[in-house]
Amino acid sequence: MILLRSAFPAFLKMSLATMFQYRGEIALWAIWGVVYPSVAMAMWAAAVTGSPDGQTIRGFAPRDFAAYFWLTMVVGHATTAWDVYEMGYFVQTGQLSPRLLRPLLPVWQSLADNLAYKLVTLAILVPIWSVIVLLTRPAFGTRAGDLAAGLPAVLLAAVINYVWCYNVAMLSFWVTRMDAVGQGWFGAGLFFGGRLAPLALMPAALQKIAAALPFKWVTWFPCETLMGRLSPAAVTQGLINQLAWIVLGLVVFRATWRLGVRRYSAVGA
Amino acid sequence: MRYLRLIGLFARVSVQNDAAYRADFAAHVVVTLLNFAAELVGLWTIFSNTGSLAGWNAWHMLALLGVFRGMYGIIGLFISPNMRRIMDDVRQGTLDYVLIKPVNAQFYVSFRGMVVWRLADIVLGAALVAAACMRLSAEVTAGRLALFLAMLACGVTIIYSFWLVLATGAFWFTRVTNMEMVFWNVFEAGRYPVEIYPPAVRWTLTYVVPLAFLTTFPAGSLIGRAGPFNVAAAAGFAALALAGASWFWRFGLRRYSGASA
Repeated sequence: MILLRSAFPAFLKMSLATMFQYRGEIALWAIWGVVYPSVAMAMWAAAVTGSPDGQTIRGFAPRDFAAYFWLTMVVGHATTAWDVYEMGYFVQTGQLSPRLLRPLLPVWQSLADNLAYKLVTLAILVPIWSVIVLLTRPAFGTRAGDLAAGLPAVLLAAVINYVWCYNVAMLSFWVTRMDAVGQGWFGAGLFFGGRLAPLALMPAALQKIAAALPFKWVTWFPCETLMGRLSPAAVTQGLINQLAWIVLGLVVFRATWRLGVRRYSAVGA
Repeated sequence: MRYLRLIGLFARVSVQNDAAYRADFAAHVVVTLLNFAAELVGLWTIFSNTGSLAGWNAWHMLALLGVFRGMYGIIGLFISPNMRRIMDDVRQGTLDYVLIKPVNAQFYVSFRGMVVWRLADIVLGAALVAAACMRLSAEVTAGRLALFLAMLACGVTIIYSFWLVLATGAFWFTRVTNMEMVFWNVFEAGRYPVEIYPPAVRWTLTYVVPLAFLTTFPAGSLIGRAGPFNVAAAAGFAALALAGASWFWRFGLRRYSGASA
């Protein structure tokens, strides 16, 4: 713990320097997170016009969709994690070996990269987010209480996504082709996290699947909370569910990491 | 004729290369199928809430999705991999080996390699379009089918020209590989008809990044949203784009100073 407290700030400083060096490239990655919600926003606004009453879809008017998808854009950025791809690459190329030699688990260094990326890209994202708000005039129904519950919800969401993304990434000790796994993970996140549509709009069968997966607690729950669409009871229940997913994730991590490292044979070392 | 034979030869070599990595091929096909399934479920979600999207009903959208998938495959099959190689060649100076070959350089750089598994996208896309046509048999006439194919050819020509211009940019700015990522980002927007976007975005997606020509216009001509006049205009635009891009390529080539420069 003492080691962690002295090493993590050093990791973070190093990651920040690296990210700053590659600012052009990471800016492009960050903009990707803007395109998808913007397209969804435009699509649902058009869908409202074609809906039976032409005004709303399940309580969402075009400006509500604008608020929802703007929030998925921001929450999506705050919770992003890409370890599924990175770990596969590290295992395949043997780059995990030097990281394993350190007296701290490699996950801490990856976490520092993750935080540094989220911070550095804010420089470009905040202006873009602001312009989108000005152009689409989203209807936020946020009350003070929603904000007080929503911000911790975003934080917990980031932890859930990070821990679970890392857990899935550990599959790379057993599977060599992680591209397919990564794509599947991201695709499921878009879908069952409610980034293509608010979950209430999805067919019932899909909502059942979403309920059994962590993704809705990563995107849908913080967004709907921040929009002020959930009752206090639902918000409390949601926060509890988020904590449960984190605890479960940490348990899985503890159990899997040792097994995985034992299997790791350092390809290319 | 000689050029067609050469394309056949390039394709055969690419198949032989890829055949060495069969597990990789299978993994890619699995990913393609996953994407495809996600797209269909997405369509299901949209149309369980609404009857139409800017005037396109579910079956129209299925055709559009098929065109989108097919275009995705065509770009990935030969356009993007070859253009990436041009950028690498310019940066490393290996374009020398291209220029000394006894064949038109632009033709050679455009067709020399193919990513075979992308055919899966083209097959799936074609299947979707066929399914939509079957269902929309009242709307899809033989004439419209012909317009659709013509529009599709225009779209491929336009996107090829667009990429050739991007790749030629490598003669001036050596690091342009990121352009590819920007393109795939924006390409996402082509999944839906351009009519859903605000006018300024629609204009950009038609004339600056010509996505409308790739997906909306071909699918639109299939269901009668575009007539012979539109196709003629698109053909004119495509011819202009191709001529402009070829000129730009030759212009850029004059700047190229070789490996040791």
